[in-house]
Amino acid sequence: MTTQKESTTTTAVVVQQSKAAGRLLISGGTVVALILLILFFFLMRPDTFLSFVNVRNILYQISILAIIAGAQTIVMVLGDFDLSVGATSSLAGAVTSVLLLQENGLGVALLAGLAVGLIVGLVNGILIAYLKMSAFVATLATMTSVIGLGYLVTGGTTVFGMPAEFNQLGQGRFLNIPLPVYFAVAISVLIWAGLRFTTVGRRWYAIGGNVEVARLSGVNVRFARLLAFTLAGIISAIGGILLAARLGSAAAEQGGDNTLFSVAAVFLGMTVVRSGAANLVGTMIGVAIIGVMSNGLNILGVNAYVQQVVTGLIIIAAVTLSSLKTRET
Amino acid sequence: MTITEEEPPVVVQAPPALEAVDIVKSFDGVHALKGVRLSVQPGEIHALLGENGAGKSTLIKIVTGLYSPDSGEIRRGGETVEFANVRAAHQAGVVALYQELSIVPTISVAENVLLGEQLPSRAGIVNGRALRRRAGEQLARLQQKIPLRKLAGDLSPVQQTMVAVARALATDARVLILDEPTASLTETEIREVFAVLRALREEGVAIVYVSHRLEEVFELCDRLTIMRNGETIVTKNVADTTIDEVISTMVGRSADSLYPERGTATKDVVLTVEHLNGRRVKDVSFEAYAGEVLGIGGLAGSGRSELLRILAGAQGHKGGTITVGGVPLRRRSAVGRMLDAGVALVPEERRSQGVLLGTSIQDNIALANLGAVSRAGVVSGRQIAQMAKRGMADLQIKARGPKQSVGELSGGNQQKVVLAKMLARRPKVLLMDEPTRGIDVGTKAEIYRLIRELAAQGTAVIAVSSELPELIGMSDRILIMHEGSISGEVAAEGADDEILLSYAYGRSE
Repeated sequence: MTTQKESTTTTAVVVQQSKAAGRLLISGGTVVALILLILFFFLMRPDTFLSFVNVRNILYQISILAIIAGAQTIVMVLGDFDLSVGATSSLAGAVTSVLLLQENGLGVALLAGLAVGLIVGLVNGILIAYLKMSAFVATLATMTSVIGLGYLVTGGTTVFGMPAEFNQLGQGRFLNIPLPVYFAVAISVLIWAGLRFTTVGRRWYAIGGNVEVARLSGVNVRFARLLAFTLAGIISAIGGILLAARLGSAAAEQGGDNTLFSVAAVFLGMTVVRSGAANLVGTMIGVAIIGVMSNGLNILGVNAYVQQVVTGLIIIAAVTLSSLKTRET
Repeated sequence: MTITEEEPPVVVQAPPALEAVDIVKSFDGVHALKGVRLSVQPGEIHALLGENGAGKSTLIKIVTGLYSPDSGEIRRGGETVEFANVRAAHQAGVVALYQELSIVPTISVAENVLLGEQLPSRAGIVNGRALRRRAGEQLARLQQKIPLRKLAGDLSPVQQTMVAVARALATDARVLILDEPTASLTETEIREVFAVLRALREEGVAIVYVSHRLEEVFELCDRLTIMRNGETIVTKNVADTTIDEVISTMVGRSADSLYPERGTATKDVVLTVEHLNGRRVKDVSFEAYAGEVLGIGGLAGSGRSELLRILAGAQGHKGGTITVGGVPLRRRSAVGRMLDAGVALVPEERRSQGVLLGTSIQDNIALANLGAVSRAGVVSGRQIAQMAKRGMADLQIKARGPKQSVGELSGGNQQKVVLAKMLARRPKVLLMDEPTRGIDVGTKAEIYRLIRELAAQGTAVIAVSSELPELIGMSDRILIMHEGSISGEVAAEGADDEILLSYAYGRSE
């Protein structure tokens, strides 16, 4: 939303500003939940939770999810979703790792990993945009096959022993902050700017708003959708390669959890804006909620399975609250 | 059965089956209903008339529990009721049948008739035989023989209507509201429906009949209520009024003053269509001239909208050529390509095809003009705002500012946003499908003036309309379609309804 300079003095802008304030209040719910979560864990563990080391830890833990949730945000802007992001990320990590173990150069291995994302994304896009399959069915099917390919590539085991220069991508630090955090921030900023300031982003939002209106306004809906899924595939692949580097190992399903968590993060983010559309800032708030909760419950010594139960409940609570709000307006 | 002239309709002095008193309803600050009254007796067929946008649908949605009124009262058999939802209205015997939404096409006729009823079953297993017997009884009441096992979606339109009526009766409807029940029916089928409705009137059912077809109203109905701009203007016995009187009451003023002067048409051909074929369009050829408003008439389903959609690139075509400004266009259709060629469409359904309701005015206008407001794929917020301000000033769009959400605007202003979006493309040919549907009379006049101004600037405007007075008033020339083909062409000046209708029914040679 770029406010134009010449009208800053007119009353219209004053009205818009007070409206923006109202919008902030409405958006409050999910953000307030994040602040309350942070406050709660801080009060429970005042010495550790907000320490530099733990905050860095949280950022490190959520960086991969942030990248994959960014990919998910793109397709959810169009009103679709992609169940294959986790599997694609795993396969990309596995292909890169296996190629490295076969003594290929780092550049070749990384490009091959990205190519995995490109191909899976293209297939998703073609199935959904051109063959008119539902996103649910298409990405469920590709997810299934991609997991299978992951097992084939890794031989069903966890592969490890990649060169240090590769692992450095996931484990190295710059200014005492892990590299994946920088990657996540850079990719998020790019996606945010792309959704907000480019013609493609406008078209995606228009499609998500109403396909028919977009089409009758001259938007090439099929191509825009193909592009969205392809980008989602490539970005997921980046996430998967970084995950393999961070863990120093690769396996067919190591990114699997990120699929559902990415959808959850986008849903949480949709409650942040009044329009209820997927948006990157909201997604990152959603990612932060998931990350803070997981880290905090860990520190409190709560069982990981309980964490998953709580995550589901939080999504239900957030989405219910926001739908109550829209009903009132 | 039928009421003859010697037997004028007896208005029973029982409490009205359904009464709406001083109903007020507004949406986003716009008054849709401003104190509406409607009273329907048992055993009466009561026509509810008014132009599109007069508030008929809103009133129906209120008396059937879909909306709740801001103020006012609904009475059923003399007692005040409040319907929390459609189900509550059903249980009170008030049922509305809409043209196409009333049956479930993927289940059997019998299941459709008893939809929402307690199905005859034991331990959760439906007793198919009992189901069909009970459904058959309902259809027999209407003297209908429809195969009960057939999928409802495979039935003819009139059979589907009958199934919907039978379902209403199965729920013991005492007030039946029919919205344009004959729109897709043939003449014989209409007779059949009328016979059923008359039989139901004999049973004491109160029927509210919404239709634009005044001849049918005068044949079938006992009384009529006319709405205009959210108010009820008058309720009369049909026998005491005439079609002309009804029309002028509906419009609220003499129709002539609505339309601007003609006289901008030239002989420069802008658009040539030759032997165009496609879904619902058969071998259509015509030319459109710069400065001309070319009206396209015909019955619903005659291919009017499809023709516009093909020209706009929104629907594919199988053969024929389209030439714009002397340049023949490639076969493959795409809206973007047609926009580039100078053909723009203002679609029929504003809310579902024209505007993004939750999006700002400026972003709606920018959507069809992204190339003009961006550089290297990056959009300029400043240029978007400028484009929107220009469009809002040119078309006098009433809004707080370019960032106001389109969903908050009135129908007329929403339509102007669609126009602004397309006009920013500077089209050579502007296609408009039902340009004033759902718009109040004042804004209608404005739209007609805008159309004429565009024509004066050299645009060829091609407008489809279902409303004959509008078609005649705004156009220079009118093409009439019948079953996909052009069945006639008339000069608008001095044209009358009769000739247009006879072409529309394909009767003239």
